[in-house]
Amino acid sequence: MTTMETSGKKGGPVGGDTSSAGPRLSGPEQIQHHKSDTVRKWGEVGLFVGPALVLFLTFVVFPVASAARYSLYKWNGIKQFSEAEFIGFENYARALWGGNDPATKDAFLTAYTEPFWQALSHNFAIIALSMAIQLPLALIVALTLNRQFPGRSLVRVIIFAPYVLSEVIAGVMWLIIFDPNGFATAVVQKIGLSMPSGGWFEDQTWGFWTVFFIVTWKYLGLAIILFLAGLAGVPQELQEAASIDGASWWQVQWRINVPLIGPTIRVWAFLSIIGSIQLFDMVWVLNRGGTTGQYATIASFMMQVGYFRKDVGFGSAVAVIMFLISLGIALAYMAFVLRRDNAAAGEKGR
Amino acid sequence: MITMATVDTVATGETRTSTKLRKPVQLDAGTWLSIVVAVVAVALTLGPILYLILGGFKTQQQLTADPVGLPSPWVLQNYGDIVSQPVFWKQLLNSTFVAVATTAGVVLFGTMAAYPLARYRFRGRDAIFVVFTTGLMFPLTVAILPLYLLIRDFGLVGNLWGLVIPQIAFGLALTIIIMRPFLQSIPKELEEAAFVDGITRVGFFWRILLPLARPGMVTVGVLAFIGSWNAYLLPLLLLTGKADGMTLPLGVTQFQGQYASATTSIMAYTSLSMIPALVFFLLLERRIVDGLTGAVKG
Amino acid sequence: MANMRRASAFAAAAATSALLLAACSNSTAETPATSGGNGGDTPEPVTITWWHNSVAGDNGENPLGDLWQSVADEYMAANPHVTIEIEAIQNEDLQRTRIPTALQSGDAPDLFQQWGGGELAAQVEAGYLMDLSDVLSADIARLGGGVAPWQHQGKTYGLPFQFGVEGIWYRKSLFEQAGITEEPSTMDELNAAVQKLKDAGIVPIAVGAGDKWPAAHWWYNFALRSCSKDVMQAAGTTFDFSDPCWIDAGEQLEAFLATEPFQPNFTSTAAQQGATSSAGMLATGAAAMELMGHWNIFVLEGFAADDAAKAELKADLGWFPMPATNGGAGDPTAALGGGDGFSCYVDAPKECADFLAYIVSDEVQKRFAVEVGGLPVAPGAASSVTNENLQELAAVAGAAGYVQLWLDTTFGPNVGGAMNDGIVAIFAGTGNAKGVVDLMVAAAATE
Repeated sequence: MTTMETSGKKGGPVGGDTSSAGPRLSGPEQIQHHKSDTVRKWGEVGLFVGPALVLFLTFVVFPVASAARYSLYKWNGIKQFSEAEFIGFENYARALWGGNDPATKDAFLTAYTEPFWQALSHNFAIIALSMAIQLPLALIVALTLNRQFPGRSLVRVIIFAPYVLSEVIAGVMWLIIFDPNGFATAVVQKIGLSMPSGGWFEDQTWGFWTVFFIVTWKYLGLAIILFLAGLAGVPQELQEAASIDGASWWQVQWRINVPLIGPTIRVWAFLSIIGSIQLFDMVWVLNRGGTTGQYATIASFMMQVGYFRKDVGFGSAVAVIMFLISLGIALAYMAFVLRRDNAAAGEKGR
Repeated sequence: MITMATVDTVATGETRTSTKLRKPVQLDAGTWLSIVVAVVAVALTLGPILYLILGGFKTQQQLTADPVGLPSPWVLQNYGDIVSQPVFWKQLLNSTFVAVATTAGVVLFGTMAAYPLARYRFRGRDAIFVVFTTGLMFPLTVAILPLYLLIRDFGLVGNLWGLVIPQIAFGLALTIIIMRPFLQSIPKELEEAAFVDGITRVGFFWRILLPLARPGMVTVGVLAFIGSWNAYLLPLLLLTGKADGMTLPLGVTQFQGQYASATTSIMAYTSLSMIPALVFFLLLERRIVDGLTGAVKG
Repeated sequence: MANMRRASAFAAAAATSALLLAACSNSTAETPATSGGNGGDTPEPVTITWWHNSVAGDNGENPLGDLWQSVADEYMAANPHVTIEIEAIQNEDLQRTRIPTALQSGDAPDLFQQWGGGELAAQVEAGYLMDLSDVLSADIARLGGGVAPWQHQGKTYGLPFQFGVEGIWYRKSLFEQAGITEEPSTMDELNAAVQKLKDAGIVPIAVGAGDKWPAAHWWYNFALRSCSKDVMQAAGTTFDFSDPCWIDAGEQLEAFLATEPFQPNFTSTAAQQGATSSAGMLATGAAAMELMGHWNIFVLEGFAADDAAKAELKADLGWFPMPATNGGAGDPTAALGGGDGFSCYVDAPKECADFLAYIVSDEVQKRFAVEVGGLPVAPGAASSVTNENLQELAAVAGAAGYVQLWLDTTFGPNVGGAMNDGIVAIFAGTGNAKGVVDLMVAAAATE
C-alpha cells in the first residue's frame, strides 16, 4: 500500500493535477461529429482500460470480495461451496475470543484464539522493533555514510543487495547458518557463549529474535539507501552554514539533516509497517513460524489454518482482519503522520 | 515485505537535487568513521552470502567437521551436479518466463489503462481510477485463498500462466497510479500538434506518449520484475507438480526440503539461485534505487 | 535502451511462452513411442508419475529407493508402452507439503505414498483416489487383513507394502555400559533405565520432536494404554474426545517429560535427516533408545558407512515393545502400528493399478524383506524376514489384543495435525494435557 494521495499531489515532473481533455475542436465541427466522436471515444477508453479493468476485477476485486463472503461460512475449500454451512461472524468470534458456542469455546480458545493473538503480537512486535531498532540503526549508518569516501558507490550497491533477493532464498541461507550444528553456533562458542537453549529458531524466547535479526538483515539496506538518498537532497550550504556557526557534527546531523529527511523517514516507516503486517514468505520458509508458532505471523497463521488445515472460512476471516488492520493503520497514518508532509508539499506547489 | 505493490514512485529520472560540489576526499576522522562503518556494513551484508557460496565448495563431512572454516580441499561436485542437471535450468527458465510475461503485461496493460485516466475526460473516469487505487489496499496475501480457488476453477493450476495472469492483475493498481501522473505531465500542446497532423489518439499513444513515458515504465517494469521473480506464495500453491515445473525460489525450498541433510548441496543450489537476482540488480541498480528514492523523497 | 529492453522483453516473452506452453501444459511429457511389435493393437503410451519417500541415507545408499527403481524398470521392460517417472521426496516434505498441495490443486502425481486411515478417508471424500476394490480384488484378498487401514467404507483405495508395530529400539552396548540387564517391561522400569543411563552420561532417549510426529507417538502410546478399545476405535469415526482418558494420556506424558529422558534441544531435532536427527543419534550411539516404527531397521542402516559398520549396528540393535503403564482402561496387549502403501490418483491411467499390484506382489515383497530388510505385508513373504528384531516385532503384533493405527493417520490430517501440534506444545513446555484435547475438538468442529 502506498501514499497514493501524496503521490497524486506531487505529480510528475511537470507536476500538478492536470485533468486533460481531448483536443478542442471548434464549435460547428464539434457539434457535428459529436455522436460518432463519443462512440469512438468510449471505444478507445474501452480498448485502453478494458484489459486492465477485466483482469483487475476478476483476479483482485472478486477474490477479495469472496474472502469476505467465505469468512461467514464453515467450508473446507474442497466440497462445493453451496454445501458450506453459514455461520455468520462465528469465524471472527473464534479468532478473537474463542467463539460463541460454550461447548467448543475452550477448544477454540486453544486452537484458534491463542495462536491468533500470538501471531498478531508478533506482527506488532516486528513493527515496534523496526521503529525502535531498524530506524535508528539505519539513520546512524546513513548519516555516517553520508560523505565522500573511497568506494562509496560500491558500498551503497552492496548494502542494498539483500533487498533484491527472494525472501525464501535468503531464508534458506539463514536456516543453514543458524543450524544448531552450523556456523552461528560455532562462532558463538568460539567467543565463549552458547546457542540459546532451545536452538536458534526453536527457543521460545530467542526464536523470535533470530527471525527479527534475519528480517533486519534483509531490509535494513533499503532504509539506509532511502535515507542516504534523502540526505543527498539536503543542500550542502545548510550543513556548512551550521558548522561554520559552531555546531558540532552531531548537532548538524540531528538538528538539520534528520528533520529535513523527515518525509523520507515517515514514508519508509509507513512502508515498513504495512510490510510487517503482510510478512509471510520469510516466516514460512523458516519452519512455518516455528514448531510452536513462536514466530508465526498473521499471514502464516492464516495459511496454516486456511489452507493446510482446510478451514477456508476461518482463514478468510483472518485475511479480512489482516486487511482491516492494514487499512486502519494506513488511514490513520496518512491522516496524522503524513498530513504535515502532504500539506507541506501542497504549499510548496510541487 | 515491501513488494512491488507497496512502493510508489515518481521517477525523477536523472534529476538529482543534490547541490554537492565534487570536493576532494578529506581523510579526516569523519571519513575514517565512515569507512569503518562501511566496512562493517559490507561485512555483515556480504558475509552470509559469501559463507553460502563457499559452503557449496565443501563436502558434507567438511561442513560437519568445521562449520566455520574455508573449504579444504575445494570440491566442485556440488555445483557441478546442480548445473549438469536440467532441473535448475528449467526452474530458471520458468522464473524468467513468468517474470518477463508479468512485467510485459503489467507495463503494457497498466500504461494503457492509465492513458485514458490521465488524458481523457469521460464520465466515470474518477470512479474507475478510485477502483484501481483501492487495489493498493489488497495485497496478494489477503486474497490468496479465494484467488487460489479461482485459479483452480479456471484450470490454470500447474500452468505458468496461472501465475502470470494474477500477478499482472495485482501489479496493475500500482502501475496505474505511477503512470497516470507521468502521462498527465506530457504537455497538451504535443497532443494537439499530433492531432493536427492527423494522428489518432491510439497512434498518439503508441508513437509519442509511450516513448516519453519510458522512464516511468522502466521503473514500474523493474519493480514488477523483481516482485515476480521473488514470488513464493502463489507458486507454492499452484506449481505443485514436478520440480522442474517450479520457479526458482520455490525450487530452492523444494530442494532444501528434499535433501535437508545434504547441507552443502543446498548451499550450492541456493547460491546459484541468488545469481540471477544479483546480476539483474547490478545491471539495473541505478534504476531501482532512483525509482524507489524518487518516490519516497517526494 | 529502455525501448530496446521492452522490445526484447516482448520478443523474449513470445519466444519463451511458445516454448513453455508446449512444455508446461499438464504432466505427460515425452512418452516412448515403442510399438509392441506383436502386431495387433498397441496400447496408448502412458506415463505414470510416482512419488515415494525413499531418499538416500547419510551414507549415500538407498536400498529401498533402489528397489523401487528396479521394480519400475522391470515393469517398464514388461510393458513398453508405460513410462514411470519417479520423484523421491523426503518424508516430511512429501507428507506435509507436496502431497497436500498437489491433491488440492489437481495437478497430482499418479502413484503416491499412502499411509491409510483417516488420512486416506479424507482423500477419498475429496474424490482424489482411485477405487481399487474391483481392479485389484485378487491382490486385496491375497494381502489379507493388512489392507484394512487402506480401506474406507468397504472399498479399497490403496495397498500397503509394509506394516508393523512400533516399539523402543535400543543399543545393547549402551545398556550394558549403564548396567541395564533387562529390557524394561513397565514404565517404572523404563524410568529406572533412563536414570541409569543418565548416571552413565548417556542420552537415554532420542526423539525427533522437530518433525512433530515422533514426539506425538509417545502420547499415542499413553493414550492406547489409557483408553479402552471401544473409546479408542469409536474416536476414529465420531471424533468424540470427551472421555477423560484422552487427558490422562497427556498427563502421563507430562509426568514422563518431567523425568527429562530426552536429548537436549529436542524440538530442533529432526526425525531421520542427518546424523543429528533422532535416528542418526541412535545409529551413531549418541543416544540409547528411540521409540520408532519398524522401518527404523533400514533407516538406521543408512547411517552406517560400510558393510562392517552395518553388521555391527544390526548386531547391537535390540527392540522391546512399549512398556506397560500403571493402570488405565486400555488393553495392555494392544499395540500401536502403521505402515506405508501407495494409492493411485483418481485420474491416473489404469496401468497405475496394475503397477501397484506388481509392487505388492509376493515376489517383490520377498525382495523387500531380503534386499531392504523391511517388514512386508504379504503373508506369502513373511518367511523371508530373517532379522531377529523384526521377527520379535512381528510376533508381538500377532499376539496383540488389537493393533491401533497411528493416531494421526487414524484421525486424518486436520484432527491428527492439530493433535500433533498440541503434543509438541507439551514437549516445548507451552501446552498441557487439556490443550491437546482442545485442539482436537476444535479441529473436529471445523472438519
